[in-house]
Amino acid sequence: MRDSPKLGRIPLPSALERMLPMRGFLYYWKNKARRRTMLTAYLFILPVLIYSIAFNFGPMFASFYLSFTRYNMLTPPKFIGLANYVRVLTDDPVFWTALKNTAQYALQVLPLNIAISLSLALLVNRAVWGIAVFRTIYYLPVVTSIIAVSMIWLWLYDYNMGLINLVLERFGLGPIDWLGDPRLALHSLVIMRVWKGVGWNMVIYLAGLQGIPQILYEAAEIDGASAWKKFTSITWPSLRPVTVYIIIMGTISTFQTFGEIYAMTGGGPLDSTTTVGFLIYQRAFQYYSMGEASTVAFILFGIIFGLSLINMQFFQGIE
Amino acid sequence: MRKFVLLTLVLVLTLSTASFAQTPIRLWFAGTPQALMDLMYDEIVPAFEAANPDIKLEVEFVPWSELSTKLATSFAAGVTPDIFMHGQAAIAEFVESNQLLPLDEFIADWPDKDDFGATLSSGYYKDATYFIPVFGAGRLLVYRADTFREAGLDPDNPPTTWDELVEAAKALTKKEGNRFIRQGIDFPQDGIDLQQVWAPFLWQAGGDFLTEDGTAAAFNSPEGVESLQFMMDFIHKHGASDVRTAQPVGNVSPIAADLVGMIFEVPGVLAQITTYSPEVYPEIRVALPTKHVTQDTLYSFSGFMMSRNTVDKEKAWRVMAYLLSAESLEKINEAMATLPPRLSLAEADFIAEDPNLKVYVEAMQFGRGNPNHPRWVQIRDIISRYLERAMRGVMSAQEALDEAAKEVNRLLAE
Repeated sequence: MRDSPKLGRIPLPSALERMLPMRGFLYYWKNKARRRTMLTAYLFILPVLIYSIAFNFGPMFASFYLSFTRYNMLTPPKFIGLANYVRVLTDDPVFWTALKNTAQYALQVLPLNIAISLSLALLVNRAVWGIAVFRTIYYLPVVTSIIAVSMIWLWLYDYNMGLINLVLERFGLGPIDWLGDPRLALHSLVIMRVWKGVGWNMVIYLAGLQGIPQILYEAAEIDGASAWKKFTSITWPSLRPVTVYIIIMGTISTFQTFGEIYAMTGGGPLDSTTTVGFLIYQRAFQYYSMGEASTVAFILFGIIFGLSLINMQFFQGIE
Repeated sequence: MRKFVLLTLVLVLTLSTASFAQTPIRLWFAGTPQALMDLMYDEIVPAFEAANPDIKLEVEFVPWSELSTKLATSFAAGVTPDIFMHGQAAIAEFVESNQLLPLDEFIADWPDKDDFGATLSSGYYKDATYFIPVFGAGRLLVYRADTFREAGLDPDNPPTTWDELVEAAKALTKKEGNRFIRQGIDFPQDGIDLQQVWAPFLWQAGGDFLTEDGTAAAFNSPEGVESLQFMMDFIHKHGASDVRTAQPVGNVSPIAADLVGMIFEVPGVLAQITTYSPEVYPEIRVALPTKHVTQDTLYSFSGFMMSRNTVDKEKAWRVMAYLLSAESLEKINEAMATLPPRLSLAEADFIAEDPNLKVYVEAMQFGRGNPNHPRWVQIRDIISRYLERAMRGVMSAQEALDEAAKEVNRLLAE
């Protein structure tokens, strides 16, 4: 309720109530002027809405249906109920291997990415002539196609001719079978992924750093706080919302890893780099098991959704 | 102004009518070798259209890695090419999905059919012929005369038995400490290649992939274990091979770069060596398959199939017949350095001039294909995964083949 000098008390729905779909809809629909506003808004977003329904939501719902069928694209889908889900979750060791690899990949990439990107952001967060050049250099890998990056790193990692092994051999340390040793292949891909992704998070952290009031640092200076104390007491806590965002988006991104696996290792050696994303591709486009691939895709969706919720709850709880 | 509009209208109508008179026939070729694309677009397609003005031949080249995906998508969408190429192992799946037109009605009156001989049977499945081969490839042992001489071996007498193969591999191996300078013999470490190199040894031991009725795995037999153990021993017992497969150095194949003493390769590699390492080619030799219980080796054909959705099957057949003529097949196979399926082309100039290609042709008599089964791609990948484990020493040969057989049998039971 709010008071108006002319109209007295006006029963307006709260902001939260307006967000509830039906209440919000009725709120706008019942009033002629608000109805026109709503319809105009929908008209403006209609092209995007049609695109989203045709190319995002429509295929998503179709894929959900297919996850309950046996479908090879050559004959019509055959409804089989929960059989795909039961098989994948109880009788598919490759799925669990892929899930383990994906989780390991995420758990290695995210902390490394956060640590390095935050360090870079702290380094480039200064008004020094030419700093934009460094920001650009660190960001360049982000805008390079994952396939192009994968091709370059394939050469770098080559056992016989790769630059990394050539350098290591000069120091008597090589050669290392970066992509051919099942104990090392996933770690090699982690290094490449971190290298490619730090620029993106650096920019986000940079924006976060520039949003921290300088007065806090000045007050800490007066109190005689060291650089480390300033970081742990001011910088890191102030960047928590940014870190939460990076963790959630990073989890979603790493759990969908496919490009570098396809280009560099094909899921091997010995399935050590098979991720859930690659498994979906394999089942769909090599084996034509669209039903099973859709099942794995929705199980992955469930996992990512659950992890995102847990992340949000966890960090909200700390706040 | 009115005259101009009328003239334009007449011109547009004439052109569109002219195009309506031509039936477009779409053909998908597998692979994108430049020499073949140039041949088709510059020579064969124009010649065909000149001789057949009622047909507009639209040829598209699809990389092998994308072929299955593109075909499946086109079938699902109902917009298929009239004719497409694939390996003979793909026939079963397409027939079971009712995507192919049987070709028997055309072959019955086709004067060229006898020239194909036994290769025509590669397209036979469930009492009909769905596929006519265009080119063949087989895996044979490729070695170098110069490295053979250096190792004290006779390049004119390559290994003919399994024991001789072991001795030659040991003699050709060069090491620096634990590191291979040259592997005596190279094996693929994973994937389709590994299965294709194992297949000849499995058959030579007297084994096979599936039972005769195709309902169960048969490769985990004593013969299967013997053949896999034979390959594993090169790495783990004789020290003549590395668990890592040799990689090409840019465009230079491992045999040309002297990274391996012997390697199992398809004839296309000969063309690669001729192009990028011509100074090495005079030393390249090819051996007939070794003999154990049998002398079988893997050969397979890629060929044309006609889609059930073709706009005009008579015209589609005319396209196929033209491309399958002796003249066209000779040019196509010469461009790709592959093996023509016609008996009359066994003595073609491009084969007669290359003693290595002659060996590939001679070895066709020992050639066998992979099983023609609708689930072959998945079966092959299951087998490859466990072969890789065995070759790396993670599992024993028996364990690996038993686990693979368990998964394959489960797949076949679905």
